[in-house]
Amino acid sequence: MAIFNAKDRVIECKLVYYGPGRGGKTSNLEYIYKAGKKYAMSDMVSINTKGDRTLFFDFLPIGLGKIRGCDVKVQLYTVPGQQKYSSTRKLVLKYVDGIVFVADSLEIRRKANVLSLKDLQQNLAAQGEDVFKIPLVMQFNKRDLGDKDIPIMPVDLMTRDLNSKLNAPVFEASALKGTGVAETLKKCLVITLQNLQKELKWTE
Amino acid sequence: MSDRQRVESLVREADTYRSQGFLVAAKKKYMELLQLIQGHEKYSKNKKLINAVEGKIRSIEKEMSDVTKAEAKPQLSNETQDLIQKLFSFSKNREHATMEGAVALAKFGQYQKALTEFMRLMSEGILPLEAAKNILRCHLSLSPPEVALNQYKNWVSRDDFPPNDLKYLRRFLKNLLDKRGVKVEIPEIVERAGKAKRKKKAEEEVLDISSVGVPLNWGPLKGETVEFEVSFQSGNTISIIVPSDKTQLLDAFRPGVKLPDMQCYSLIAVFNGTGVVSGKSQITSGPKKGDYTLDITISGD
Ligand SMILES: Nc1nc2c(ncn2[C@@H]2O[C@H](COP(=O)(O)OP(=O)(O)OP(=O)(O)O)[C@@H](O)[C@H]2O)c(=O)[nH]1
Ligand SMILES: [Mg+2]
Repeated sequence: MAIFNAKDRVIECKLVYYGPGRGGKTSNLEYIYKAGKKYAMSDMVSINTKGDRTLFFDFLPIGLGKIRGCDVKVQLYTVPGQQKYSSTRKLVLKYVDGIVFVADSLEIRRKANVLSLKDLQQNLAAQGEDVFKIPLVMQFNKRDLGDKDIPIMPVDLMTRDLNSKLNAPVFEASALKGTGVAETLKKCLVITLQNLQKELKWTE
Repeated sequence: MSDRQRVESLVREADTYRSQGFLVAAKKKYMELLQLIQGHEKYSKNKKLINAVEGKIRSIEKEMSDVTKAEAKPQLSNETQDLIQKLFSFSKNREHATMEGAVALAKFGQYQKALTEFMRLMSEGILPLEAAKNILRCHLSLSPPEVALNQYKNWVSRDDFPPNDLKYLRRFLKNLLDKRGVKVEIPEIVERAGKAKRKKKAEEEVLDISSVGVPLNWGPLKGETVEFEVSFQSGNTISIIVPSDKTQLLDAFRPGVKLPDMQCYSLIAVFNGTGVVSGKSQITSGPKKGDYTLDITISGD
């Protein structure tokens, strides 16, 4: 979707937080909104169903200011993770420029992580994108639960399950506390903008 | 691990899963806990403890059923609808973008607003066939199948589309109805020559309506009955004109809105009918420029 307005030197791009239901996508955006108020270009919009589950999407537009002489604006979205909302995920994923895959570290979510990644791959393919080529950052969320003696998966296992072929940059995080949230976003922005640079040549 | 620690750990896990919305996993843990307690020498005598765990299981079950019952496509605020329209119209081409925005509204279940948009697109001649298909879809989501059917008949009678497009729309509507298991006759499209005759016959079946009274049972004008002169009639669809300054009325008569208990006055009889607003467009020239034409499709009671 990225739009580069050469005249006003504005670039707009779209990042989507993807991942299994209840994995912490919305929590990532909420933290970004709270901690990065000065970047937010409007309020965060969330369309939820029962139990605060995302029904349609969350939306948060942020402005990064000038990067190499260009005004950079980014639209952050989350998809609804629940399996039954597949058609909404496809719609929200349209014209995506970069992806954060939020994997859930809870042991009981091992299979859900794998299924969601597969779902992402298929939905990207359906719109002519390739999960191996699109800028993508992997986040292993809810690491804090380990300290509370709740069974979580070791990073090795999650890497083997989800990232052995993708080889995406990985961040451990606790979206609830904010640990790793900014790092994840920053990395995703950097690789997305690098990729767009190749396509749109906006710094030239 | 001591028994006590085992209990504590199960409670911790169950509570965490529950608070994060993993209700199946939470219930499983509470069941495990219940089993452990019931089979335990000391804990099994603690009725309070057992009751507490059973209570947790019950309330999780309630939560599970609430989640499955949650409305799949709730009505969103105007602001959110506008946002959706804006965010999901991607094309550079303005007309395509408008269509995409309207389609997104429908996909997110905002059929009423989507319908208004598709009607507008059609009246402006923007991708009319695409708009027509979506109008049928919206009608079917909002109203009983007759409304979509009448809409289609309306297009046929008004010559809004060339015969091939009408045939296409007929197949499209038939498909939609078949999917819903609805069995109704959809009139075949007969080419030009036979058409004039057919049209006449259809019109004969409906009385000429000269004016209508519509009781408003919603919105700010609730309780009032408004009267309109009929400016044009084609089959069972009448057109009325609403001046542009009657904004509350115009708001009340959005396409797809149902009008039960309409009084229809014809020269020889007064009868009650149920109507559906099947079209709304602004008049672009002539003395009534700026006012609105509303199409109402009527079925006798
Ligand atoms: N302990 C802990 N809980 C978290 C963390 N991130 C999210 N949660 C909790 O997990 C639950 C789900 O979080 P959401 O952010 O709503 O998850 P989501 O991925 O947006 O879920 P869907 O919208 O259903 O796809 C909530 O109860 C959060 O408080 C985390 O890092 N640590
Ligand atoms: Mg969410």
